Amino acid sequence: MLKISLAGLRAHKVRMLLTGLAIMLGVGFIAGTFVLTDSMQAGIDEEFAGSAGKVDVAVLPSEGRRLPASTVQTVRSVPGVTEVHAMIRGDAALIGKDGKVYGDLPTVGLSVAQGRLQRYDIVSGRAPGAPDEVVLEERTAERNDYRVGSTVTVVDGEGARHAFTVTGLADFGIDDEVGFRGAVGFTPETAVRITGRPDPVEIDIAGSGDPRELREAVAAALGGDHEVLDGRALGDRLAARAGADTAMIRTGLLLFALVAMLVSALVIYNTFAILVAQRTREMALLRCVGATRRQIFLGVLAESALLGLVASLAGLGLGVALAGGLLALIGDGAGGIPGGDLTLTPPAVAAGLGVGVAVTVAAALPPARSATRVAPVAALRTEREPGSGRFRLGWPRRILAALLGAAGLASAGLGALALEEGQTAMFLVAGGGALVFLAVIAVMPALVRPLSRATGALPARLAGVPGRLAVSNACRAPRRTATTAVALTVGVGLMSLFAVVAAGGRATADAQLAEQFPVDFQLRGQYATGDRPPHPVPAAVVAELRERPEIGEVMELRIHRESAEGGRTEHIGAVTRSALGTMIRPTVEKGSLQDLTPGTVAVQADRARGRDVGDTVTIPTPRGRVELRVVALFSGNTPLPPYVVTEEDFARHFGPRDAEAVYLNAAPGVDPDRALETVERIIAPYPTLKVASTAGLKERFDEAIDTILAVVGGLLGLAVIIALFGIANTLGLSVVERTRESALLRALGVTRVQLRLMLSLEAVIMAVIGAVIGVGLGVVFGWAATESMAPSAVPAVPYAQIAGLVALAVVAGLAASVLPARRAARTSVVESLAYD
Amino acid sequence: MTSTLVSPPAVTAVGVDKVYGTGDAAVHALRGVDVAFAKGAFTAIMGPSGSGKSTLMHCLAGLDTVTAGRITLGDVEITALGDKRLTLLRRERIGFIFQAFNLLPTLTAEQNILLPLELAGRRPDRAWFEQVVDVLGLRDRLGHRPSELSGGQQQRVACARALVTRPEVIFADEPTGNLDSRAGAEVLGFLRTSVRELGQTVVMVTHDPVAASYADRVVFLRDGRIVDELAGPTPDTVLDRLKALGG
Ligand SMILES: Nc1ncnc2c1ncn2[C@@H]1O[C@H](COP(=O)(O)OP(=O)(O)OP(=O)(O)O)[C@@H](O)[C@H]1O
Ligand SMILES: [Mg+2]
Repeated sequence: MLKISLAGLRAHKVRMLLTGLAIMLGVGFIAGTFVLTDSMQAGIDEEFAGSAGKVDVAVLPSEGRRLPASTVQTVRSVPGVTEVHAMIRGDAALIGKDGKVYGDLPTVGLSVAQGRLQRYDIVSGRAPGAPDEVVLEERTAERNDYRVGSTVTVVDGEGARHAFTVTGLADFGIDDEVGFRGAVGFTPETAVRITGRPDPVEIDIAGSGDPRELREAVAAALGGDHEVLDGRALGDRLAARAGADTAMIRTGLLLFALVAMLVSALVIYNTFAILVAQRTREMALLRCVGATRRQIFLGVLAESALLGLVASLAGLGLGVALAGGLLALIGDGAGGIPGGDLTLTPPAVAAGLGVGVAVTVAAALPPARSATRVAPVAALRTEREPGSGRFRLGWPRRILAALLGAAGLASAGLGALALEEGQTAMFLVAGGGALVFLAVIAVMPALVRPLSRATGALPARLAGVPGRLAVSNACRAPRRTATTAVALTVGVGLMSLFAVVAAGGRATADAQLAEQFPVDFQLRGQYATGDRPPHPVPAAVVAELRERPEIGEVMELRIHRESAEGGRTEHIGAVTRSALGTMIRPTVEKGSLQDLTPGTVAVQADRARGRDVGDTVTIPTPRGRVELRVVALFSGNTPLPPYVVTEEDFARHFGPRDAEAVYLNAAPGVDPDRALETVERIIAPYPTLKVASTAGLKERFDEAIDTILAVVGGLLGLAVIIALFGIANTLGLSVVERTRESALLRALGVTRVQLRLMLSLEAVIMAVIGAVIGVGLGVVFGWAATESMAPSAVPAVPYAQIAGLVALAVVAGLAASVLPARRAARTSVVESLAYD
Repeated sequence: MTSTLVSPPAVTAVGVDKVYGTGDAAVHALRGVDVAFAKGAFTAIMGPSGSGKSTLMHCLAGLDTVTAGRITLGDVEITALGDKRLTLLRRERIGFIFQAFNLLPTLTAEQNILLPLELAGRRPDRAWFEQVVDVLGLRDRLGHRPSELSGGQQQRVACARALVTRPEVIFADEPTGNLDSRAGAEVLGFLRTSVRELGQTVVMVTHDPVAASYADRVVFLRDGRIVDELAGPTPDTVLDRLKALGG
């Protein structure tokens, strides 16, 4: 039987090649993910092992605790300790080349040790040795055109400016925060002064003698209050912390790989189903000469296992190549992903081969089973076309589809409309989507005929006979067409789902901005990290802004953060009275914002905890608790804090202070760009103040969404490509099957061009059916998902993108048909007529 | 017989050679075939298996290229045409009936019959269509698909399709090869009627002396050469000639 299986594979080389390609791509994705993340992890491990190797002992704060500065003295006095570096980390806002603080968040301020404990890689220059010297993180320097010798300014937490000379550029290693915010390295003393954080985040210790004894000694001196690790344990700890990201990348990529494998499975299933149908005669002949059902079954399975294995091996190779290419592309960017050596671990090999073979064999199971049902007499019957005939939707299938569909729609409906928005609702929608998709798979063969007719109506009219023949060919083996189309539905459906959700996000943001927060610009200090307030907007700036004729309304927002019981921080705020209800328009659930007078408070609805308008709430203030009467409950997406009081009350309870943010509109009839210029001029002397236009923010938001969409689309693109192989495969098999028919058509006067047109149209019909169903499902469930996400979500349909997806499907169908069509058009009429 | 030779022939072959393969593997399927087929005549081509009958027919019909020689259909030298022109020529001026697989399985009988006209973008002559359908007795089968028709019915549909375009020549390669004698007789009778009464030209390849006896003239092939011919054949005279050929 094995010999026959091998012969089977050889006889259908091209088909098997395409099917194998589908498996190979899926496995390549999986293996590539493993190789990429394993290599990244290896690089991380190596890097941390290297830098931690310089440390003999490290003290880390235990979970949720601080490491007080006093610990450092205790550690220093332990006998055998020669060097100590108390690592400081906090905000140190670097002023960039535009005279403003760099980035949305302040750059990270780090302490850089001298001597043996200096763990960072100083790329050029040297580590800071004096209070007025700093090293800059490489990319931070590059982006601001700073180099060794430049003078830079750093703003501390109080807003004071400090000038430094750059002595070197550093690579601070794998550090998300540094990668995102950039970093400045100081001498330890200066680091404390600038960041205002005297407590170290880690204490590194070098000593003489046996590191193990030193660790014991330090631990004893600290009395078990903190974690004391040796160098190796520190390396492991740091690597594991950074590795969490790698694990997340891996999980995310594997999800997409799963989608690709699912599509591959559909393609494999279809190929084997068609091949078995085409070989009915051959198998019947085998049965005639004495092959048992079992042998036939195993024969088909062996064929699939062999194919799966070969293709998976190729997939492994592809995965390694892909990961290698990606790693080379990423390079070893500072604070980013290190370019470790390509690592192919046994689990990666096992996962790639295992999944590849298992999916192939599993997909070939149903066709193998139907192969066993071939009766020996089939060899003697003159053969009708395999897999042809009308598809009748049996009752079991109908009931199953109805149940699945109903359950899916109910679940999605519940999630989208009835349930409170949130994770549960989203899961319900996702589950509903999966169920409905299964229902569609079940009824798809019955949908093929009407859908092909509809899709083919226009081509049939335009292209005449070839068009009409294409439509009837698409309908002649409905299961085949259905499976082929469904493979495309998966990728296109998910793509359109994401497109709809993204459009919803965009529409929601737009609607909220327009409705609840219609301002042109916002002016604020750079955000700080932790629970520190941002740098305030000086009163002089606000006063000057109010003077200017180009500026219309001005709204000041003041917020006080008061720690309340349970370790929580309550935010209490006030805004310019006249702006409430005009520039800032939260949804008022109950009561009225007009009633906000001294002694009263407006409360965010979800913080009301059962209190109603008229009740009193207790607010903590630095001078004790005060009771305020609730006059309004509000909701919506505005910068208002949970508790809003009048400006008078705010000043009374929390003292006079500068605004945290100022919101502005251009005066009526003034070009917003001109108003923006004015604002920029006024705030020029204040490096921590930044102005952003709402339009600009929106643009950045849109860009972020576009980027995510592009990445997701790219990852799903593989599923679409595999589905295209499926189309090419089905069409190719059909072409082989219809060799006679094509020859007859050619004899009757169908030109080569017309024959190719016919096959291309058939492919396009299959592709469009798949895409249209995908788009339909994607739009419906994208809408449901948007509805289930947030109460104020505004669903939107990105028509252009959806149309683009369908157009893409048409082009893809055309591309998939090129080879089969060419083959069909090339074959000689005479030979095909003689073909048996 | 002589009267048919007065008007120019429908198809002429002059010095046609056909070689398959090259070198040692070369097969001379046709060697210097000179033959003409008169307009409005029913000609049968006979010969032993492998003698080149199908090859000759394919060359005459523009389905295959010749190695040497010339073939003319009416005023067109088809051996000089490219694929596209040949295809259009077949569509407009030639009809085909094959031994099997004559019909497209996805189309109904009527659609199959009208297919060549639609391909050419010509409107069917309704009266002619009705006449052909009635003569062939296909009236109540028009809506059926090939799989719902008997072998004889399928061949009659193929005949109807060949006739409906009123081609200059109909080529038939063993059109009754798969039929029993009664169904075969129906088809042959119809072909003869179309020649006698409608002036159709038919060239038919056959093995069967009875089938050949429906023709006006029989041409005998052996080893790729025309070796004999017979006018006004009967089954017996055809059989005698075949025996004489040693086939
Ligand atoms: N494609 C081909 N390649 C090589 N040789 C061929 C090819 N087609 C036909 N032949 C050879 O050409 C010769 C004539 O073949 P052809 O099919 O014309 O014979 P035929 O008279 O129709 O036979 P039959 O009565 O069996 O149908 C044979 O020897 C055959 O083997
Ligand atoms: Mg023959």
